[in-house]
Amino acid sequence: MATEHKPSITFHPEPRQLPGGEREYMMDVRTGDLEVNMGPQHPATHGVMKILIRTDGEMVTAAQPHLGFLHRCAEKIGENVEWLQYLPYTDRYDYLSSMNNNLGYSMAVEKLLGVEIPRRAEMIRTICAELNRIASALVAFGTYGLDLGAFTPFLYAFREREWLLQIFEKACGARLTYSYLRIGGLFNDVPPGWLEEVAHFCDVFEEKWQEYYDLLMVNHIFVKRTADIGVITKEQALDFGLTGPMLRGSGVDFDLRRDLPYMLYGEAHDAGAWKVVVGRGEKGTLGDCWDRIYVRVAEMMQSVGIVRWCLANIEEGPVLGDIAKTLKVPEGEAYVGIENPRGELGHYAVSDGGKVAVRCRVRGPSFCNLAILEDIMPGTLLGDAVAIIGSTDVVIGETDR
Amino acid sequence: MSDQATMREPISAREWIKNVWDGFYTTLAGMKITGRYLLQKPITIQYPDERMPIPDRYRGIHYLEQEKCINCLACARACPIDCIEMDAIRHGKELEWVSFSVDYQKCMFCELCVYPCPKDCIHMGTEFAFVTDDRSELKHDLLSYKGMSREARIRMKEAEAKKAAKDAAKAAKGADAKEGDDA
Amino acid sequence: MLNPIVTGAALVAEAPAQGGNLTLDLLREHAPAALPGWSLPLITALISVVIVITVISLLAMVSVWLERKVSGHIQCRYGPMYAGGWHGWAQSIADGVKLLMKEDMIPLGSDKALFMLAPALVLGAIFGAFVAMPLAPDFYFADIHLGAFFILGMSSLTTIGVVMAGWASNSKWSLYGSMREAAQVVAYEIPLGLSLMVPLMVAGTFNLLDASAAQSDYWGMGWFVFKNPFVIPAGILFFVAALAETKRAPFDLPEAESELVAGFLTEYSGIRWSFFFMEEYAAMYLMSLMAAVFFLGGFESPVLHVARQAEWHPILCNLIAATTLIAKSMFGVLVMMWVRWTLPRVRIDQVMTMGYKYLTPLALLCALGAALWEAGKAWIFA
Repeated sequence: MATEHKPSITFHPEPRQLPGGEREYMMDVRTGDLEVNMGPQHPATHGVMKILIRTDGEMVTAAQPHLGFLHRCAEKIGENVEWLQYLPYTDRYDYLSSMNNNLGYSMAVEKLLGVEIPRRAEMIRTICAELNRIASALVAFGTYGLDLGAFTPFLYAFREREWLLQIFEKACGARLTYSYLRIGGLFNDVPPGWLEEVAHFCDVFEEKWQEYYDLLMVNHIFVKRTADIGVITKEQALDFGLTGPMLRGSGVDFDLRRDLPYMLYGEAHDAGAWKVVVGRGEKGTLGDCWDRIYVRVAEMMQSVGIVRWCLANIEEGPVLGDIAKTLKVPEGEAYVGIENPRGELGHYAVSDGGKVAVRCRVRGPSFCNLAILEDIMPGTLLGDAVAIIGSTDVVIGETDR
Repeated sequence: MSDQATMREPISAREWIKNVWDGFYTTLAGMKITGRYLLQKPITIQYPDERMPIPDRYRGIHYLEQEKCINCLACARACPIDCIEMDAIRHGKELEWVSFSVDYQKCMFCELCVYPCPKDCIHMGTEFAFVTDDRSELKHDLLSYKGMSREARIRMKEAEAKKAAKDAAKAAKGADAKEGDDA
Repeated sequence: MLNPIVTGAALVAEAPAQGGNLTLDLLREHAPAALPGWSLPLITALISVVIVITVISLLAMVSVWLERKVSGHIQCRYGPMYAGGWHGWAQSIADGVKLLMKEDMIPLGSDKALFMLAPALVLGAIFGAFVAMPLAPDFYFADIHLGAFFILGMSSLTTIGVVMAGWASNSKWSLYGSMREAAQVVAYEIPLGLSLMVPLMVAGTFNLLDASAAQSDYWGMGWFVFKNPFVIPAGILFFVAALAETKRAPFDLPEAESELVAGFLTEYSGIRWSFFFMEEYAAMYLMSLMAAVFFLGGFESPVLHVARQAEWHPILCNLIAATTLIAKSMFGVLVMMWVRWTLPRVRIDQVMTMGYKYLTPLALLCALGAALWEAGKAWIFA
């Protein structure tokens, strides 16, 4: 952490000459710094994370995130359970985007297996992943409003999220830890009427999105609280290895779904169903908190575009590829990075040809994105510190795993 | 560095007026939206009185079709956290059940136990809430009866009787043959 | 230097106008002869205190319930629905009982005396401010000539209690909260007073009763907002400054729950905590009553005008007047709630900027404009 300030009084050696012939002595009075533990139980840390901040009055002079309160040995468990049995554990690191986690892990194992996924399964996987991205962005948006003291947008966001959770519940029976996308495809085909409900959701969601935008995103207080705050430059973003909305908020046009296309994203992009949202510094400096939250909010609409494209192109067929009941994965290693709502979620799986993985490494986007806090938080006010933590949108389950 | 927030650029008169107007206007725009909802009917339901519809595929507490189960341990093997324990004594084809328990302190409701079942006899139901002040009660026994069912006992008796008859017949036949040999 | 203070004290101490107080008049007429004459004003004061405190406490409890209902419906949910039956009307009572039953916790290492004194001081100050607030034209506790002045002074006394609470709690978050409160209230006293100057200039008096009476022309619709164009912007400024003064969102920085856990309230629980809570709602009512008196016509409405013309019974007239005033202040409280559940929180330096660089100049402009308008009117009609 930065150097600590002790309370001090410093006299300036040279007195100032006043016009009347008097001399004025100047002194700097400096109060001591206050060290505050923000967390592990603090409303702004979105979970059990501690940020040790040092403040000079309201000013944050140093900040240091402390992790590990929620460590559950996810990677070690991956080396001890069978390939398919690890799937429910992937739900639990970024619990707001379980579908994407399932997808990332499944794709890594599928790469080792070399199995082909039926097209219908790919379609439904894409729909689920994108709906989950919307659900996750809704939490990010809602809790960000909460961090800044706006309670109502949070509940509006959760209203739509509730509908999404019901949609997921109908498909797989769970509301948070889905375990729906499996290695080789899906566990079940979607129930009848499900696709129609998703289409209806997309229509309603468009109106509601505009409401969020008018209520919070362009609100003058919100803009003043987020614009020009916590600016991450392009270089900084690249140096710290940021991914996802944090990177795009800083103006770097990079999205794994387009640049290393997996599943049907490339196809959908070529068909013009969606485009990558990049921060433009609309309300302040490029890479400030507003840009980051804007990227998340605007991506919701792009996700709606992808879902619509999938719904238009879906066809009947099987949903599970040619997969043995007890998986024996051929020897080798595979890394698959996918675009999680929070950034690049990488799964690195190593197999020795047995039923259990030798190594199951996870690159969590929240963990990598968190590192920048130490750099951008000093020099801001206490209220800004909360805004910056909120704008990184960390999920502690993932940083600690 | 620490002076970043205190040293603000002075702003122009135009920006000053814009700030006043924006603050006023966007506040009113927000209040219009919230005001509209104030007059609408809420969307929530009063939970203990009304309940949300639970979909068919809901992953709640397990239930077991004990008649079908063959004690093959496939579900217990599929479970990532080994929370299913089952025990039965085999009497020929029939099973005398000792226990079939799921430890809900561990269970994470992943449904992986349901898929490998060869007889399709373990399911996840729509019941989701059970509250207890004793941890040991969280270990549920899914068996609806212990030991053997009446049908199984009858079947076993029938089978035994059949077997006995068969044996008797065999013995008689053997005796006949012996007699024949003797003769 | 001393002279204005002495004059002011003399004005405050001056006896109220003859035959003003209805309670006193009624007592004089109907009290048994055994009571000595000097005890009648004392009894009047006692009755007034009981009524004022009861009414304000009840209003505060109702508005806690109302706040939860309003926030609920704004957020597409119901809010309390169970306690008492109809829409959870008894929720505040249930909460109050629960808070009374809770353990009285005083944190280790805190300044015990200050910690216990702070809630009492806060609540006492805000109830003290209600002394100058008339509930009806003929029902008041004290007819103070510098009423508006007194109320502003008393209501900022609560700050001392809040700073005390923050300091005594032995918690860093509490300290932050109380420091913010001190800075914020100092900044917003100025625009609050300045914006109040505008209707005061139109009324020509600091007395709330006289100010209300000055709006009784035009069939009870001679409100100051209709008499001077600068009163409307001044009203908006007053509303914003009152939000900051009462620590309501978007200026709820002292207790900013996402930044400072609960600010100066962090270490408080049970009945002490509820005192602060009561104070917040009482302060909301106080500010809304002020706004109602000076901007929205006080007791005056066409109904009261008709009642007066028809010479109804004075008790009925007073009831009508009290209902009108409370309804008007209720409107103010409702708008405060509505704003709270719409806006995000302002940052501390922005609060200061807004107070000093935006509201104060605007309030000064309004005051100048209103003064010129009044002077011009006097010059033309002279």
